[in-house]
Amino acid sequence: MKQLKIGITKFPGTNNEPDVARVLKSLEVDYEYIFPDDVEIFQEMDAIVLAGGFSYGDYLRPGAIAAHSTIINELKDFVEKERFIIGICNGFQILCETNILPGILTTNTSTRFISKWVYIMTEETTSPLLAGMKDKVLKIPIAHFDGRYYDLPEKIQELKQSKLIAFRYCDSEGTTTQESNLNGSLENIAGIVNKKGNVLGLMPHPERASFNYLSSEDGKMIFTNLIGELKC
Amino acid sequence: MLAGYSGKAKNIEFIEDEKVKIIFRDSISAFDGVKLNELDNKGVINCKISTRLFQILHEYGLETHFISSSKDDEMICERVEIIPVETVCRNKTAGSFCRRYGVDQGIKFESPIIEYFLKNDDLHDPLVNKEVAVNMEWMNSEEAMLMEVITRAVNHILKEVFDLINLDLIDFKLEFGRNKDGCLLIADEISTDTMRLWVKKTGEIKDKDRYRKDLGKVIHHYEDILNRLNTINDLPNIETQTEANVNINLKSSVLDPAGAVTQRSLTRNQHETIETTRLGKNAKLIFSEFPSFSLLKEIKGISSEILSNPLIEDFEIELKYNL
Repeated sequence: MKQLKIGITKFPGTNNEPDVARVLKSLEVDYEYIFPDDVEIFQEMDAIVLAGGFSYGDYLRPGAIAAHSTIINELKDFVEKERFIIGICNGFQILCETNILPGILTTNTSTRFISKWVYIMTEETTSPLLAGMKDKVLKIPIAHFDGRYYDLPEKIQELKQSKLIAFRYCDSEGTTTQESNLNGSLENIAGIVNKKGNVLGLMPHPERASFNYLSSEDGKMIFTNLIGELKC
Repeated sequence: MLAGYSGKAKNIEFIEDEKVKIIFRDSISAFDGVKLNELDNKGVINCKISTRLFQILHEYGLETHFISSSKDDEMICERVEIIPVETVCRNKTAGSFCRRYGVDQGIKFESPIIEYFLKNDDLHDPLVNKEVAVNMEWMNSEEAMLMEVITRAVNHILKEVFDLINLDLIDFKLEFGRNKDGCLLIADEISTDTMRLWVKKTGEIKDKDRYRKDLGKVIHHYEDILNRLNTINDLPNIETQTEANVNINLKSSVLDPAGAVTQRSLTRNQHETIETTRLGKNAKLIFSEFPSFSLLKEIKGISSEILSNPLIEDFEIELKYNL
């Protein structure tokens, strides 16, 4: 059987790619860093993780410049072919700027950069990336300035009705409270999936919650789900 | 008989494919048609000057209605709906400007002046301002902005071109029209009938003022302009001064945390009458091409697809020509 290989995007300013790589390595999966012009290598990948950071210095809007880089056509092609894409933090912002996922991530209501361990509730979706995770409360860190999920009210309603909300900020008991919604996201939204379920975008960092020595392994299941799907 | 109409110095014939044939007659008129004469060969000379000047503007990437010259006194142009407001660009005081404001002629403006006139003979083409013209729907605000920057760009080009042949461009008028797709194009003619040209240093008048002021030898001087234009082989290298400012603002329905923090600071500093503070962004784009309808369309595309996110932001484009 062909060895699996997962691409991790690295734009100028992306800085979370080693964290993602560390998790994939621990799960014995091969990976490759994908730079903004790596069109050919991109297509050889079995899945793509858009790693977090501050691509292009967050100039214009977070993710906006990356959303107009060369490999974005390949990324869109990936979406159409229903191959798996996970966008973490700045990766989620890029997915919204390319309109692969709806909505946008705007400045936290506190106007502060928030770096903190939080809890998120896994909602019911049909995405295989979240298989077996329904109703699970994950302890997971966030680190962002622009993480407030925003969209028009009717679009938010559509997300709810179509069961596309993946994660919502909550307290340790799993209750979605206003206090737990640190960045002011509408409906406490921390992550969403597309209709086909092959694209997941989330602001929290599952790759930083994948080892016991980091005090949480709750994020690891997203990666094991991904690998499981790729293998079957 | 094909449909068309006659102007004071030209006949317009509608031909196939949304085109018109413009035939330059030998008629010359002044003071809204009060003074009227026929001057031998004037039609041919003006048509040739106009053709050459349109071709020159095309070389620099400006968009005009001109397509080709068919006969010596005829050109084929795109059919446009003429905007009833014409622009006048002045480098030095002359003509109606001096009468209107009681100033001497030949005073150089620090930077060129743009004026707008309503095309209406019965009213003697009155001066209008942009606000009136837009409110009366003679043109829309986007057209008003484009007409101004294009007029400035044409002035820049023509001034440099005439400079090569020892002529001082004092002022000129431009007409504009919309084609069937709504594109704004420079229209009508650009000739010695529509501009003032003085010989450098001597100040000798070479334009229609010779006719208005009965200075004589009108055709002789018109022909001289054409001959001078024909000596130009290489057009001057002109650096365009086209600039766009795109102002990007969060929609009023979207929370602006940074604006709110700034607002609180202003209130703390006793500026209690400021009710709302919103912080936006500005992108200044400097172009290597001359302004046109197509360029504005491109800027709109950039603004909505890259510079702003339509979900949360609105944008405004201000097109400038810095000369």
